Amino acid sequence: MIAAWYAIAGFMLVVYVALDGRNFGAGMLHWRVARTPEERRQVIAAIGPLWSWHEVWLVGFGGTVLAVFPKLLASAFAGYYLALFLILWCLILRGISLECGGHINDRMWQGFWDFVFVLANTLLAILFGAAAGNMARGVPLAADGTFSMAFFTDFAPSGYVGLLDWYTVSVALFAAVALAAHGATYLTLKTEGNVHDRSAAYASVLWAAAAALLLIISVESGVVRPDLLGHAMQNPFWWLGLVLVLAAAITLVSGLATRREMRAFIGSNLLIAGLPATGAAAIYPVVLHSTLAPENSLSVYDVAAGPNSLAYAAIWWPIGFALAAAYFVVISRQYAGKVSVKRDNQGFY
Amino acid sequence: MNSFSDPGFWSRIQFAFTLIYHYLFPQLTMGLVWFLVYWKWCALRTRDEKYNRAARFWAKIFGLNFAVGVVTGIPMEFQFGTNWAGFSKYAGGVIGQTLAMEAMFAFFLESAFIGALIWGEKRLGPRLHFLAALGVALGSWISGYFIIVTNAFMQLPTGYRIEADGSLGIDSLSAYLLNPWGWVQFSHNQMAALVTGSFVVAAAGAFYTLRGLHLEQAKIYLRSGTVMGLISSMLVAFPTGDQQAKMVGNHQPVTLAAMEGRFVGGPMAGVAMIGQPNVAAGRLDNPIEIPGALSFLAYGHFGSYVLGLEDFPQEAWPDNIELLYYSFHLMITLGTIFIILMAYAAMQYLRGRLESSRGLLWVLMLAFPFPYIANTLGWMTAELGRQPWLVYGLYRTSEGYSKVVSVGDMVFTLIGFVGLYFVLGLLFLVLIGREISHGPADVLPAELEREASA
Repeated sequence: MIAAWYAIAGFMLVVYVALDGRNFGAGMLHWRVARTPEERRQVIAAIGPLWSWHEVWLVGFGGTVLAVFPKLLASAFAGYYLALFLILWCLILRGISLECGGHINDRMWQGFWDFVFVLANTLLAILFGAAAGNMARGVPLAADGTFSMAFFTDFAPSGYVGLLDWYTVSVALFAAVALAAHGATYLTLKTEGNVHDRSAAYASVLWAAAAALLLIISVESGVVRPDLLGHAMQNPFWWLGLVLVLAAAITLVSGLATRREMRAFIGSNLLIAGLPATGAAAIYPVVLHSTLAPENSLSVYDVAAGPNSLAYAAIWWPIGFALAAAYFVVISRQYAGKVSVKRDNQGFY
Repeated sequence: MNSFSDPGFWSRIQFAFTLIYHYLFPQLTMGLVWFLVYWKWCALRTRDEKYNRAARFWAKIFGLNFAVGVVTGIPMEFQFGTNWAGFSKYAGGVIGQTLAMEAMFAFFLESAFIGALIWGEKRLGPRLHFLAALGVALGSWISGYFIIVTNAFMQLPTGYRIEADGSLGIDSLSAYLLNPWGWVQFSHNQMAALVTGSFVVAAAGAFYTLRGLHLEQAKIYLRSGTVMGLISSMLVAFPTGDQQAKMVGNHQPVTLAAMEGRFVGGPMAGVAMIGQPNVAAGRLDNPIEIPGALSFLAYGHFGSYVLGLEDFPQEAWPDNIELLYYSFHLMITLGTIFIILMAYAAMQYLRGRLESSRGLLWVLMLAFPFPYIANTLGWMTAELGRQPWLVYGLYRTSEGYSKVVSVGDMVFTLIGFVGLYFVLGLLFLVLIGREISHGPADVLPAELEREASA
């Protein structure tokens, strides 16, 4: 039961990363792929009226973790106090910039909100990337299951670590590049005209860079957590994750090479979701690794709620998920098709 | 307690501030959304374009409120972990269930159809557009229910069990979800949200009528707002408010005593119309009371014995009796004024004089902030009254905050929120002001387009 809940919570998180990751990516590239005010509105319309639907996956993930792994949420959120508020403020600014820009048809007004939009999305990609790096590297967890950490200490990934060190910074860099590539792949599918052409060019370059960075952080992970590879190899789901990532990469590359935009985008989604999923399989069952002493580490069994709570949650979660999947079908059909540079052809902005 | 160096105090202030600010927006959307559903339904039935125009105008106001509600709502959930780690660890297995269910059953529904409601009219056609409005309405009320059940558990814990490690887990999901406190509080709260929605709609109608603009639209707003305002204002007081007070009297008698500033217990307990609690002296200063009213309202007989604060040990008292007392009494006063105002407006409507009573229109226009104040006071009564408990009778607020976070960090993030929300509030007012000054379209957008292209 506990392992199943680890998989479910992990699933919600990777779905969020894939769904909102494309918005982060499109946001980071906003100024590069869209040059005129009309093109900029086109990118915003491509992200469209669904950003809040995407963010619900994050809210659902948070609520689910609170319900099934309350001690994990308590320890991690309190420990990352300031970093989490930075993420929250960026999420607020990102949402506001999307909603406010369209209300006044004025170049300066929209230019300002485009700036906020780019800034918030870039910071979000980097912060979520650093968070992923932290999950792999571990945190200075004390014997009582709590920790608090600085933004950075001596940039070494052992002992009293900070949020940022050379390892988590490289993971953050990888995340930013990979999500930008994901966003470019999405914009290629979703737009036409100049934005489409520029996005397609960016997608190939960024995916190549992301592949190189992935190789680097894989090697780095082996250095930072030498115990992890041997541990992961015993987990069949880790192998499954590797197969998924490989299949996703093949789909993506073939889609990019043959200009099949939907295929590339599907591959891109699977890759962006598959990489953190594989990472989650690798660290299982430890959810918070202690950089101070291995015996302080918290496993998923240490942080789980009582068996009855888990069993009850297993009743309603599938129903909620089935509904969410049904809405997904409806909105995918509703917002299918490309966004043109002509205003309002999706009925948005 | 409550000193500058107490992290529990700062976590409470931060949660209270972000929550009160956040709830300014959902209370309007939860009330307003039924007006949208109603007008879309009228448009569907009568084929009269004026109802679509009304829905289109208010959908823009709704959209702005919805967006600010979304972005200010996300920090609420995260603060359970960041600021209330002790509480999350203790009760997460219970309260996390409803917070997750809110996302799964309410937010997915709401956010999937909000775009369709605000921008999808042309593509969806009248029937589907009505359904989109209904979907958003249901989603927002379901979301309210899950939040209120979560709060009801903190007020009156039901359906829980104590696990081996001392934390709480679910014992019976139905007992947790069907908490009697939850149903009463939900009805009371949703009626109060309808009051806010009605007053805002009526205020816009009054404004346009006084200016002599968009008169056909203004009439719809004034009339819908007045009728719904009268119904919901009465329902807030009776039966929902009355039931809520009985709930408090039965399950939190010390809270009831504090709400009424009642230090000494006894039969024939009165309701204070005027009076100031003097906690140090243990009495209500300059009271003017209706004798027996509290006994009757809380327990059904004028002679019923109502406990006073002195019947309880001082560590069981809510920790801010004055604020609790003022919040409760001001809420009741405002609620009474709402009924009187809306009853008068409804009478003028029946006499056909609603649009011509300039004095009344001025009052209706200026009255819209007060339901926001009353809603806020109601939540302050609920939350201050629950003190000193985080989960009533089980877990104290002083145990719940995050021990690893320093006071400085908390003050820093609080100031961050104050600054960010100030800017957000200005932005919101500017954009709402623009929408109000543009007003509802008097002609169809399609007609405008045709004119523009001609």
